[in-house]
Amino acid sequence: MTIGIRDSGLGIREATLTRRIRALPATIALGAALALAARPAAAQEGRQIMEEAQKRTQADSQHYEGLLQVVDSKGKISDKRWVYDRLGSHGRSRSVLTFVQPAEVKGVALLIVNFPDRASDQWMWTPAIQRERRIALQDRSTRFFGTDFSFEDLEERDTGQYDYAMFGEESIEGVACWKIESRPRKGKSSQYTSSIVWVRKDNYAFQRIENYIRDTVVRRLKYSKLENVQGIWTARVLEMADLKRNSRTILTFEKLEYNIPMKEENFTLQALRRGQ
Amino acid sequence: MMLLRLITWPYVRRHRLRTVLTTVGIVLGVAVFVGMHTANQSVLFAFYKTIDRIAGKAELQITAGEGGFPESVLEQVQAMPEVKVAVPVIEAPVDTNLKGEGNLLILAVDMTGDRSLRDYDLEGGEEAVVDDPLVFLAQPDSLIVTREFADRNGLQTGAKVPMRTMDGEKLFTVRGIMKSGGLTQAFGGNLAVMDIYAAQTVFGRGRTFDRVDLALNEGVPLADGRAAIGRRLGPGYQVDPPSSRGQQIDSVIRVYSFTANVNSAFALFIGMFIIYNSFSIAVAQRRREIGILRALGASRGQIRTLFLVESGLAGLVGSLLGLGFGVLLSRGLALYVSGLIAGVYGLAERTTEIATEPRLMLFGLLMGVTTSVIAGLVPARNAARVDPIQALQKGRYQVLSAGENRIRRVAAIILGGASLLSLVLGGRSMILFYAGFVTSLLALLLLSPTGALWLTRALRPLLRRLRPVEGALAADSLIQAPRRTSATVTALMLSLALVIGMGGIAKAVSDSILDWTTTALNPDLFVTASQSLTERNFRFPSSLGDALERIEGVDEVQRVRSHRVNYQGSPVMIVAVEAKSLGDRARRPPVEGPPEMYELAAQGKGVILSDNFASLRGLHYGDTIELATPTGVHRVPVIGLVVDWSDQQGAILMDRASYIRWWGDDTVNVFRIYVEPGVPPMDVRARIIERFAGTQRLFVLTNREVRSWITALTEQWMGLAYAQIAIAVLVAILGIVNTLTVSIIDRRRELGVLQAVGGLRNQIRRTIWMEALTIGIVGLVLGFAVGSVTLHYVLEISQRAVTGMSLPYKFPWAIAGLLVPLILGSAFVASLWPAESAVRGSLVEALEYE
Repeated sequence: MTIGIRDSGLGIREATLTRRIRALPATIALGAALALAARPAAAQEGRQIMEEAQKRTQADSQHYEGLLQVVDSKGKISDKRWVYDRLGSHGRSRSVLTFVQPAEVKGVALLIVNFPDRASDQWMWTPAIQRERRIALQDRSTRFFGTDFSFEDLEERDTGQYDYAMFGEESIEGVACWKIESRPRKGKSSQYTSSIVWVRKDNYAFQRIENYIRDTVVRRLKYSKLENVQGIWTARVLEMADLKRNSRTILTFEKLEYNIPMKEENFTLQALRRGQ
Repeated sequence: MMLLRLITWPYVRRHRLRTVLTTVGIVLGVAVFVGMHTANQSVLFAFYKTIDRIAGKAELQITAGEGGFPESVLEQVQAMPEVKVAVPVIEAPVDTNLKGEGNLLILAVDMTGDRSLRDYDLEGGEEAVVDDPLVFLAQPDSLIVTREFADRNGLQTGAKVPMRTMDGEKLFTVRGIMKSGGLTQAFGGNLAVMDIYAAQTVFGRGRTFDRVDLALNEGVPLADGRAAIGRRLGPGYQVDPPSSRGQQIDSVIRVYSFTANVNSAFALFIGMFIIYNSFSIAVAQRRREIGILRALGASRGQIRTLFLVESGLAGLVGSLLGLGFGVLLSRGLALYVSGLIAGVYGLAERTTEIATEPRLMLFGLLMGVTTSVIAGLVPARNAARVDPIQALQKGRYQVLSAGENRIRRVAAIILGGASLLSLVLGGRSMILFYAGFVTSLLALLLLSPTGALWLTRALRPLLRRLRPVEGALAADSLIQAPRRTSATVTALMLSLALVIGMGGIAKAVSDSILDWTTTALNPDLFVTASQSLTERNFRFPSSLGDALERIEGVDEVQRVRSHRVNYQGSPVMIVAVEAKSLGDRARRPPVEGPPEMYELAAQGKGVILSDNFASLRGLHYGDTIELATPTGVHRVPVIGLVVDWSDQQGAILMDRASYIRWWGDDTVNVFRIYVEPGVPPMDVRARIIERFAGTQRLFVLTNREVRSWITALTEQWMGLAYAQIAIAVLVAILGIVNTLTVSIIDRRRELGVLQAVGGLRNQIRRTIWMEALTIGIVGLVLGFAVGSVTLHYVLEISQRAVTGMSLPYKFPWAIAGLLVPLILGSAFVASLWPAESAVRGSLVEALEYE
């Protein structure tokens, strides 16, 4: 999950994040391959940082209620709320995101099953027609229901799916960060050619991610309102900007909890069909 | 050029009416040809354009006939290494109930991935317009409409559009409006996009898709990708470029094109005789001028060229007018053809643009000019042969050549013999068959002057008895001017032969359909998902049949599932029904095969074919056909043939159990309901409607309504035939008018002499009237004779080359009966003006030649 790229605790992200962190998944993942060859030491360092970041966000489960605000290019804001549950962490997690507001979308859910070595499986459940639909791999680059996140951004990919390169250090909004490039490893699919991730030096939390298609930044994810929740540094607010469309989506985490008991059978298609 | 200006132009100006009448045949021939083909092309063009627009960037489309296929196929395709993106599609026209809008083509897609292939170009900036993409997916009533459709109906985002769904009439919500251009122009703007999973419910599709559209990965050649995908999916699936979807409509339109060709050929042929006639008379009338020209040194070649150029010009003018009329005609015809296709095939397309094809226009022009020049060849030759000395002697311009008649008769006998030989020895050879048709027609044409002469001679005593002076004069006038008479009679004969041919086939089709509806469509009630039995976009779950069986008064319910599949590259209708029950209730006599074929079909021992399908593909009882289904290829014995009008392309009747097993589809298009004896069907109908009112899209049609619907559809089909019959009759009438007009002008001297020697005006009038009626009678007799031969060939052509239906030979006595007063009446009316002209003309002027 790119969104999750950083386990900010966005439920989504969190789980993902963790994973992501490892993988800094889709978003992050790029550039390493090239960088690696030229700068093995830098690559090594970049991977170590990313793995450490992932390790620090590891949790058995995650739960939060999210407020999603899409701000279009004309400044019009639309709000949605969802509940997010994740069981497991990183490349071995399952998560369910269920919309609760507005009324027209209540009950629409997304089931994501992440794998350590490949892209996730995703299904959307539509209660009005009692049907699930599979989100095909080919569709992962499309926008996630009108937000500025893509379906791929919701995945939690393992760090093993990426190569990393250390691009030095940089201060972002007054915070000292490592600047690391990630590129998907050969054979791993991603809409992004590369991502640049800024990891805070003080707590290994993500500060910012920029996703590139070829040489152009297409999406920028900012992490803010960092809090330590049950020992995990988590950004309470994520802001994803689609630089091409000039729109942004703000995701705010509420009632965030880690490591609460969850049942595996609630993370299946059957569970979606019976309304969890 | 100078000859044209000095000789031709003044003559044309003096004989404007005749010039117009002369070109009428060419005008009609070219107009029918160009109009019909332009209409067909326009319908096809619109259809292809819609396909193209809807296909977007899709390079290939996967289908499995109209039945669709399970969702799992999509994942299978998406996982193929050659495939870059594959998206599911359901496409179906629905009735919106919006005034004046007719059908709305629903393009149901999965919006999460479909934009990789199609550009929806939503107003207000991508998805922002679909006010909320999540709401669009979450609410099954969501629609995106085109700007054109929205404007026409005053719709804004959030507006409601009524549509008839499987759950009754529902209101759908406009949640997006597409900008004009590209996709939105498909189907004349009557296009709406909805979520495919919602569409599955709306159209009762279960968990199937109609089609998968796909784009290949870069570097994968289309042919390779197509072959690889086809190989993996198996023979039950078709993997084709989007353009091949036109195939079906192509084959439908081919029938019209064929009919148009036959009719325009006839019209031109008739036009040829009219031109021949007019020019022959013109040559005779202008003998003096020709003689003077020859005396002044004009060569034979120059005279021949002059007349050929005249006929060419007449052809050119006629063709140009024909092109103009043809294009005008095509607008109406395009609407008619597209309406017909919508009615019969459930494929609707708004044909708003007329696609004029320059090559077609050029061909029409050349065809008209060539016909005219050919018609002018003999008169031009005769003009060139005019002896200047004889020409300058007054009064000798009727030439009768006994030798010419003999040669013609001998040629006719040889051609007739050849025709009979081809009939006897031809077998299934189409070349010999067409050769037989052409030779028989030529033989009859060559015999027509002799026939006309004999008939006129035979009528002479009768005419004399009716009116001793006028009757004899009328008969003698016709007998003494065989060339003039025979050309008119031939034109009339051809027109009537065409009428008899067309009428005969119309009668045979009507009778056959009536017989089929009487025996095969005998249930008391039909429960359908749409008002049209041919519309197969909506389907019922099989369980509805159980509910219907429980309704009081219902004796038996038959579940019918029909859909088109691909059989060796052509569409054919599969009709799946409980075969045993069908045999018990609506047994059709076998054309081939044992009477117990229905029982055999019920045991899964084979399929029954419609005879048109079998005929077009050379299949017979005992053969084996290969059916490519989603579960693989099944080799199935043919256990019988029946006459069946389910589909123009032919039908394969099979037991429902086999169908469900092979296609994995247990949905139903139509329930055929038999009520218990003594129970009024209307009572059962009322109970069905009451039981499902508001909860289920369902129409209950009575047997009578279905028959009326089929009759109306047949009439619509036949409309074109009737229109062509009307054109043929019109040509026949024009032929008579033309001939009589030129005949009177030609005989002004003779008529003047008659008046000068004391002939009364009324006698002159009656002479001309009787002459016209005699031409009418002779034309009718010969026309019916040639028509009876033509009908045989037309039925054979229809069976062998067009529909495959074996139609019984039935002479259309009713039409023939109508033609008698019509033609005689027309002949009489046509003679009124020439008769008046003859008696009112200046006697001095008329006798001037003397």
